Amino acid sequence: MTRHLSDESLLDLAEGDGTAAGRAHVGACAACAARVEAARAGLALARRADIPEPSPLYWEAMRRNVGRRIAQEPRRLWSAWLAPLAATAAVAVAAAALTIGRVPAPPRPAVEPPLPAWSALPPAEDDASLAVIEGLATAEGGLSAMDEGRGVGAFLAGLSEEDSRALAESLRGASEGGRS
Amino acid sequence: MTTPVLALSSLGLSAVVARTEGEPRPREAEREAVEACRRGEREAFDQLVVRYQRDVYRLCYRYVNNHEDANDLAQEVFLKAWRAIGRFRGESAFSTWLYRIAVNACLNFRALRRPATQDLPEALADPVPGAAARVESADEARRVREAVRRLPEKQRATLILKIYHELTHEEVAAVLGSTVGTVKANLFHALGNLRRLMAEEGSPSR
Repeated sequence: MTRHLSDESLLDLAEGDGTAAGRAHVGACAACAARVEAARAGLALARRADIPEPSPLYWEAMRRNVGRRIAQEPRRLWSAWLAPLAATAAVAVAAAALTIGRVPAPPRPAVEPPLPAWSALPPAEDDASLAVIEGLATAEGGLSAMDEGRGVGAFLAGLSEEDSRALAESLRGASEGGRS
Repeated sequence: MTTPVLALSSLGLSAVVARTEGEPRPREAEREAVEACRRGEREAFDQLVVRYQRDVYRLCYRYVNNHEDANDLAQEVFLKAWRAIGRFRGESAFSTWLYRIAVNACLNFRALRRPATQDLPEALADPVPGAAARVESADEARRVREAVRRLPEKQRATLILKIYHELTHEEVAAVLGSTVGTVKANLFHALGNLRRLMAEEGSPSR
């Protein structure tokens, strides 16, 4: 007599699967055959445990409740690509201010009304960083030049005087265009 | 034009979805819905709720054995999924990810929960013919559910996902972060323990 079957093999046989060798073993081994039968009985018992089905109307109510609760959650607009882009934009604004000697947005009042909890971003027309991103994207070489692992600082430092002026013009244009 | 329905058996779901020519297939549609959710589109998440709410509710019910708690838990599962969907990378099926959230929520719920109270009977005797048999059957179902609730954690989770949600062994392993071999062994022991628990209660187990 070979060794008894493993629990995994016994379960396979109870579920109607299993190998030919396993079936042959069970045909000759009363102990394993009994364990397979016990597992089958357990399966049949477990399947008798239906749960009550809620009213068909319940699903619609549940869907609405979930939707209502999600609507009360803070908005989540920061997707995986937007966060690093925004960080890049912030660095670009600082670097551009140093390079060009111009701060793109006027200083804001010290006290601002807080944004509502559900609004993670200001409206696009008020968002100065978007103009910077647009400006960088339309500048010669655009953002692709920054994708080579050199970083924003290296990118800006590496610009020729002529390119710097072109970038500044582009930023000014985008910034004014965004406000109009 | 509508083509034959597609069974979502690979997701372990009982639902079937009618597909129209030119429309994305269910898996693709689901991937697109998940991407839209990651962009913050609540309507897309609503589609996922519609698709999975029954499965999530039933999974929760298996753990808590009453409608009120199952309802609360199922809604919590979807809220957790919404909050975390930005971190879902699509390395597993969305359903696997959602089941994992649901199982964890159920385990946490049980850990915090006071000792379970006696469930109310789900049906009352009435004079309609066959009613007695239905009550007996419902009572047996309730006792089996109660026995399932008393199984060790891993065995219970395995049995619920495999038997009641008809996930494959591989899918159960993915949800529980386990191996197929362990899943099978846990299920085998769960079935034995289930019979033992029912026998202890004095119920016929065959």
